[in-house]
Amino acid sequence: MSEQVTEERVALKLNEDYCGNCSICSSLCPFEAIKRDTETDKTFLEIEKCQVCGICYSTCPAQAIDIIYYDIDSLTRYLERAKQKYDCDTLVIICKGSSPDFAEIERLFGAAKFIPLSVPCVGRIPEEVFLKAIVIGIKEIYVLACDENYCRFERGSPVTGRKILALNLLLEQIGYGKEVITLKRNSLKVKADRDLCIGCGNCAFFCPYDAVKLESPGVANFELTSCRGCGLCVAMCPAMALELENWKGKRISALISRLSLEMTKPKVLVFRCQWSVFPPFDEELAPNVRAIDLPCAGRVDILHILEAFQKGVDGILIAACSEEDCKLEKVSGKAQHSVAALKEKLSQIGFQDRLRFCTVAPRYPEGFDRELEQFSKRIEAISSKESKE
Amino acid sequence: MIITTQKPLDEILDFISPCSNILIAGCDGCTQPPRGLREAKTLRQLLELGGKLRNKGFVFKVTTVVKQCDSFLAASMLKPQMDNVEAVLSLACGAGVQTLAELFPELLVFPAQNTHFIGAEDREGGILEERCVGCGDCLLAQTGGICPVTRCTKGLLNGACGGSRNGKCELNPEKDCAWILIYERLKKQGKLELLKEFRPPRDYQLRGWRVTP
Repeated sequence: MSEQVTEERVALKLNEDYCGNCSICSSLCPFEAIKRDTETDKTFLEIEKCQVCGICYSTCPAQAIDIIYYDIDSLTRYLERAKQKYDCDTLVIICKGSSPDFAEIERLFGAAKFIPLSVPCVGRIPEEVFLKAIVIGIKEIYVLACDENYCRFERGSPVTGRKILALNLLLEQIGYGKEVITLKRNSLKVKADRDLCIGCGNCAFFCPYDAVKLESPGVANFELTSCRGCGLCVAMCPAMALELENWKGKRISALISRLSLEMTKPKVLVFRCQWSVFPPFDEELAPNVRAIDLPCAGRVDILHILEAFQKGVDGILIAACSEEDCKLEKVSGKAQHSVAALKEKLSQIGFQDRLRFCTVAPRYPEGFDRELEQFSKRIEAISSKESKE
Repeated sequence: MIITTQKPLDEILDFISPCSNILIAGCDGCTQPPRGLREAKTLRQLLELGGKLRNKGFVFKVTTVVKQCDSFLAASMLKPQMDNVEAVLSLACGAGVQTLAELFPELLVFPAQNTHFIGAEDREGGILEERCVGCGDCLLAQTGGICPVTRCTKGLLNGACGGSRNGKCELNPEKDCAWILIYERLKKQGKLELLKEFRPPRDYQLRGWRVTP
């Protein structure tokens, strides 16, 4: 039998036939994944470096770049469906990186009813999609993007700002009124309950950004301008004195309770870093699988994992970026470490095989599916063995 | 700090199995990381999961105390929470557990941790090392801030013994020779003459069992 080598499907492709070598993509790519070869004068893509932010896709004038996630077609389809489903003419586009609870979005924009559109980086959305939204009858568009220095893709947030400025001018010129698109900035930041702080210094030790200073007499003081909202300190605080503002751990607990009720056996719950998996709009998980997206693997909370087991979840898969791909400072490695420590404790009660930490990247869209399939099989085997006993 | 490690869950489950209403008391005190609220909640979840396997249900309450070994703090924080509690599972060191046992003589008080020593932790690598035995006669001023009682395998007060190889101990090649460390430190401080001083055997009575401040 000959060994079959099938090429791994990738999320981004550069079509040389259409490429006009204009260099817009290579000048905007935050990761130097698209470059122009000075000798051959051709533009080429190094997929290993690509983080699939989609900025190149949204700015390519020749449409020479194909992207799997949130392309113009799928975004348009989503908008058309959502327009009917939500029956309103306000659209709210948020970057997952900065997104607070939806209740908070209501408050921020004063919009009670809206079509939500949540994407990893607003910078990836082409102008065409904004215009399509207007065409299908959307009157107001609110955009919640990250603060510029907070963008996980470095250039996504500034690109969004410029794009919206230009779009608003254009829309005004063609008679749609002023400021059709409203841009607001938001970044997740940690919030400390100083009454609970015991001054142990764990937050200061784990923070990759030196955003915490220990003040005499040992109470943590957060320098919020450097906080990047990974949530690692929140997950590590022994006194449970920290929260990401507007992104409460309690909400995740409630979500775990709800999801564990709607899942069929054997229940598989996935905690995933939102930068490691870009789920499609029409993501259909098996009835026994549910997923919870986190702002970073750093916010994976040991207590949430245990809570899920408590609520009858049979297996928990944690999908994170590799340390190299981590949008923050190797936070995923720290998360992996604490999951390993929990696994050691779980092994004392025979739960170790029910928890798995895997690293995936959106550049290989099938990577996560494969991990999930393997893990689901494992959990199925454990469950069927258990029911026989 | 006090170095403790969590007892095996099976052992803890054996302790608490005869009881149903249990208070898990964390201690924010001297360990790193502190065995505070998060550790107490984590332990509750683990014990509930472990209890299920034994078909045993528990009713847990979870709390934490600033310092369990301080009987005033422990009493004022715990007493209001003791309704219906049959047993206390303490995440403190041995001193904390004993303080609770004294405060609540009618209750069962169990340790959830094994207490190892007074030591220091390198947070980066998570390594724990003994640094003090509480000898009652501190030598650190003469030894450049390095304790030979804990860090010299032989506990020599007048080292080095001559068995050190490449700065490591002859009995445990992974361990730095404390007396080489002391020599290097004193050299840096220009205080090598301290090594010429003879230190007589320790007075073990000084360690004592009770001190009046």
